[in-house]
Amino acid sequence: MDFTLSEDQQMLMTAFEGLLSRYREAPHGVHGYTCYSEAFQQELRDSGFLEITDQPGFGLLEAAMLIEAAASCPVSVEAASSMMIGPLVRDGAGPVALGWQVGRPVRYLGQASTLCLFEGDDVLVCARDECDLAPVDGVAAYPLARLVSVPSGARRIRAGEAAAIRRRVLLGIAAEAAGLMRGALENTVQYVKEREQFGQPLGHFQGIQHRLAEDMVMVRACRSLAFRAAFEDCDRQAALACLYAQDAMRKVIHDCHQFSGAMGLTLEFPLHLWTYRLKVLQGEAGGRAAQARSVSRATWPQHQTAADKHIIEEGVA
Amino acid sequence: MEFGWTSDQEALRGKLQAFLDASLPADWETIASLSPGSQAVTDFSREFCPQLAEAGMLCSHWPEEHGGSDASAWDHFIIGELLWGAGEPRGPQYYNVNWIGPTILAYGTEEQKAQHLARMREGNVVWCQGFSEPSGGSDLAAIRTRAVRQPGGDGRYLVNGQKIWTSYARLAEFCFLVVKTGDARRDVSVFLLPMDRPGITVRPIDSVVGDGDLHEVFFDDVEVFEAERLGPEGKGWEVIRYSLDFERVGIPRYALALRTLHRAVAELQREGSFIAEAEQDAALALARCEAARMLVYETVDKRMRERPDTGSASMARYAVVCAERQVADFVLDWTPHLFTSDDAPMVATHHKRAIAAGLAAGAAEIQLNLVARDVLGLGV
Repeated sequence: MDFTLSEDQQMLMTAFEGLLSRYREAPHGVHGYTCYSEAFQQELRDSGFLEITDQPGFGLLEAAMLIEAAASCPVSVEAASSMMIGPLVRDGAGPVALGWQVGRPVRYLGQASTLCLFEGDDVLVCARDECDLAPVDGVAAYPLARLVSVPSGARRIRAGEAAAIRRRVLLGIAAEAAGLMRGALENTVQYVKEREQFGQPLGHFQGIQHRLAEDMVMVRACRSLAFRAAFEDCDRQAALACLYAQDAMRKVIHDCHQFSGAMGLTLEFPLHLWTYRLKVLQGEAGGRAAQARSVSRATWPQHQTAADKHIIEEGVA
Repeated sequence: MEFGWTSDQEALRGKLQAFLDASLPADWETIASLSPGSQAVTDFSREFCPQLAEAGMLCSHWPEEHGGSDASAWDHFIIGELLWGAGEPRGPQYYNVNWIGPTILAYGTEEQKAQHLARMREGNVVWCQGFSEPSGGSDLAAIRTRAVRQPGGDGRYLVNGQKIWTSYARLAEFCFLVVKTGDARRDVSVFLLPMDRPGITVRPIDSVVGDGDLHEVFFDDVEVFEAERLGPEGKGWEVIRYSLDFERVGIPRYALALRTLHRAVAELQREGSFIAEAEQDAALALARCEAARMLVYETVDKRMRERPDTGSASMARYAVVCAERQVADFVLDWTPHLFTSDDAPMVATHHKRAIAAGLAAGAAEIQLNLVARDVLGLGV
């Protein structure tokens, strides 16, 4: 158990931060609902960071760290699926999009080279070019396109192998959500330090301090749970990290908007670039209900033995 | 960064579990439900702690020269996690090993170390903590109990005042006593006071947290001596802060909360009533416990690297309070009969201890103040 970055991890994160630094600020002026950058995506692809899990000495933990860091930027880029499940399914060099149902909007579908469509316990994989898509006019801060149809010849990955994909999807959501919440919270904390009402900064009011402090506790816990789950690469921990994130974000989103006031409603202020991605992730992969079911079934199988229970209590499951 | 356990740490867990299996009596859960400060648990701790010491697991994290084995903070924490989950058979003596001992190690004179650490590592001495007063609880600097240095140059002080909510006071031999020694707000000093000193009166307070956990302690012209002062006069605030950073993560409370959650779910499964809504509530409670565990682990890790960090201890403490509450609510929502009956003593134990989690070592809201100030950089 070691919460300090190793020398290699430190070097990795320093190098990654060098790339992220160009995208740490949203472009000035009024921008749209979405602030996706093709240049950012291209840079990420060319840098080799998306293949982090193929690098000797690195794995899913480091992927989770990079995903969290990228998501803390206001500019969006597809990193989570590419890093987490790209090595398992990627047909081309571009991003991976995750579809949950034909007919529904899918994040990064227009930008992806590969689509994973979850169908029961199976996953269908195909090249994005073979799918039919339609534009979506929404308020989400992810680039979205509607998945109209998938080719009949899509590769079907059966339940066993598909479970690994599903697990890594949850790891990606948990890590991305942790970064998005951090970005939103940092932006809000900065705002309440500057905005004055009743003769003092908003951040001097204890009612605001306490709620933001509660949010900070959750954001930090989110990150640690996501990183631990990635380190362990286990179904139960992945579902638990995702459950905690999807639960925590409900309060974090609300508080950040509440304390950013009407500024937080404008497209000039970047808050929505984090929170309106979080709002999409809140129900992703079945949302809290699905994650809670997975956690519960893995933790409390109906016929659990005393030995199983012992393992779970000690936190080594 | 990595989240695995070493084989030595796994072995320690196994060794302690085997020790517990062999040493806890069949009716331990009923004894434990009486609270750590009760006569029964205190008596049990005087049997249990020497055995734990003999097995090298009471003060293993202390330096070798003081009877420990220089074990890491992690080893000590793993022991504490398992013991708290088991209902804390060290009873009130967890105070000694977790924070009073380490604070004496950091600030004590050689004489104080020799006098007190030996008793603690033998596992047969009970201490209480004289912090809260009617005028100062979370606002510790508002205490009024005062030690006044007496003329004559013999290093004698007289203490007058009152402490309240003092855990374990009735059976304690010593008190880690905080008093004012000057007029400035933080001009406080710490004394290591024998509780049999004339002028001390202890009155138990009946409470929902159990027998022996809350007391009033009155001091009427109680003599204390310079040799009993821990750290310089007037510099007690630093000593207290040091001790509180240990105390705030000293109890892995989520361990008992998890055990309680598992017990309640087992009850629902036995009844065939672990329905989808209960599953969701249980999973969310579990997630809160695991979140608390990770923040506590992060604090332990920082402590091991000797990087004191009030913010991280406060975040961990607050997460623990949230987890305790979520589990307590789960029991009340889904297995109310485990709360209203004595069918599951450990559930009652959890409820008694959880209700105080947001108060002990500084109210939960004080932790939020500290997080806002130290982590978010918001003005106070």
